Amino acid sequence: MKGPLFNSAIILTGMYLALKFILPLLTAPLPSMLISLYMLLTLSALMIFYTMSGTSLDEFMGPIARFLSGENQVGIAKPARLLVLVVFPLLVGWQTYTKLAPSDQPPAENRTIHPAPPGEFVGLANPYPKTPENIMMGKGLYAAYCSPCHGANFDGKGPAAPGFNPPPANFADPGTIAQLQESYLFWRIKKGGVGLPVEGMPWKSAMPRWEKELPDEFIWKIIMGEYDGAHQSPRTWEEEE
Amino acid sequence: MLPMTTMYFSASVKKLTLLCIILVGMITGGIVSVLASDPPDDTKQTSVAVRIPLVEGVLPWDDPMSAVWNEAKVSEFNLAPQVHWQDRVQEVTVMSVKVRGLHDGEKVAVLLEYKDPSNDQADAAALEFMVGDKKAHFAHGQEMLQVEGGPVNIWYWKNEAGKGIDMSAKGFKTLRTQDQQDVSAKGIWQDGTWRVVFSRSLQTNDEHDAQIDLGEWSSIAFAFWDGKLEGDVPKEKGSQKSVSSWFPMRAEPPPDNSVYGYVALGLALAVAFELVFVRKLKKGLSA
Repeated sequence: MKGPLFNSAIILTGMYLALKFILPLLTAPLPSMLISLYMLLTLSALMIFYTMSGTSLDEFMGPIARFLSGENQVGIAKPARLLVLVVFPLLVGWQTYTKLAPSDQPPAENRTIHPAPPGEFVGLANPYPKTPENIMMGKGLYAAYCSPCHGANFDGKGPAAPGFNPPPANFADPGTIAQLQESYLFWRIKKGGVGLPVEGMPWKSAMPRWEKELPDEFIWKIIMGEYDGAHQSPRTWEEEE
Repeated sequence: MLPMTTMYFSASVKKLTLLCIILVGMITGGIVSVLASDPPDDTKQTSVAVRIPLVEGVLPWDDPMSAVWNEAKVSEFNLAPQVHWQDRVQEVTVMSVKVRGLHDGEKVAVLLEYKDPSNDQADAAALEFMVGDKKAHFAHGQEMLQVEGGPVNIWYWKNEAGKGIDMSAKGFKTLRTQDQQDVSAKGIWQDGTWRVVFSRSLQTNDEHDAQIDLGEWSSIAFAFWDGKLEGDVPKEKGSQKSVSSWFPMRAEPPPDNSVYGYVALGLALAVAFELVFVRKLKKGLSA
């Protein structure tokens, strides 16, 4: 069975197993589109390699041509050829069906979770010193105004959270406020969900526009309380330089 | 001496090579696409959308207890106390709702089923839709700061009124009953559960109404009030209610069988390709 065709089959199978099962052990699983693309590239490379000379082409294509033609076939090769000839049109049919069958899934929504803030909210510093009193006041305000959705434990699991889509942010997650500056939080709390740009899908957000109800001082102190309670630190300019 | 295959191939080597490459590529591509299909996403709730199938026969548009509702797909949505704007409420009675929808090509009916321990005059439920192409905020189409929003259409039912009310809003304090009433509603309370059916024509001639186009995804939101009296006032009223934000909704189009025609065409083309291909191969090998 050894030969270019056998080697190609081994390489393709190995590539597929590596992409599908081994790579996900090290990183996130690859989407099917990417696996298909890598397999196509591998196949193209093999084709290019085996069509470089007449000899290698014949070694590669000869067995395929003889197998598919059905000439002088005996034993297992006969039903195997029949199987290939039956499976190929079925694959074409299956592909046609999956590409054309109407989906009953809603269109995917690519909501940007942290869209860019308006210019006037970039780089603002918290004007209140981080004293224990200010932090404590911030935590008290947080408990009163924010915890119903964002949770007493700053984990986004407040009693009102399950009803909202998108869900309230989990501040304890290092992917939320730890990635943001205080001025960003100031914008999001002050202007609320309705202040988001179109990519943030403001029409779905239940985040209140707190500027209607709370003075700036309260918002800055809530931010302090949030970071302290969630055991996170704001992203600062110094870190980026 | 050259290998046998070279002699076989020399006759029409270009054609055969091309054909072989195409066939190998197609088979490999097909197999890979079958093997590499993404698994279904388990993290998403299966009931994330309201799907409204076409029903043959009579639409149970005014009968919340009809057995026909068993044909509808059930989706369950969590609700939240209204904490988005004043006056807020921290605890509400209705925390989830089961939603079913059916249409007959002309009219749509949506059934809400939810737990409420008591049957009260002020018990109420509402559906909300976006009107037109502009996105509207789920809170009564309130103003958005960076996006120009549109109005909302609200279908409201209150137990004591015993009927549906067609309403509009674009921003807080703009809620009004429409001049043209197109919505029907009927609720039946049994064993601690309300079943409320709303119905309307899929399309109306009122510019203030949401129009439901078959096959198009749109948005729906829900609200509920527990009207149980606490003293002289209902426990929940006005902005104090259970709410949801937007969820996707679609009235399904009639089944499209043309896809099977294309599948048959694909199969036929593949078989024809094989026949030609194998014939060419045999010719090439015997040349």
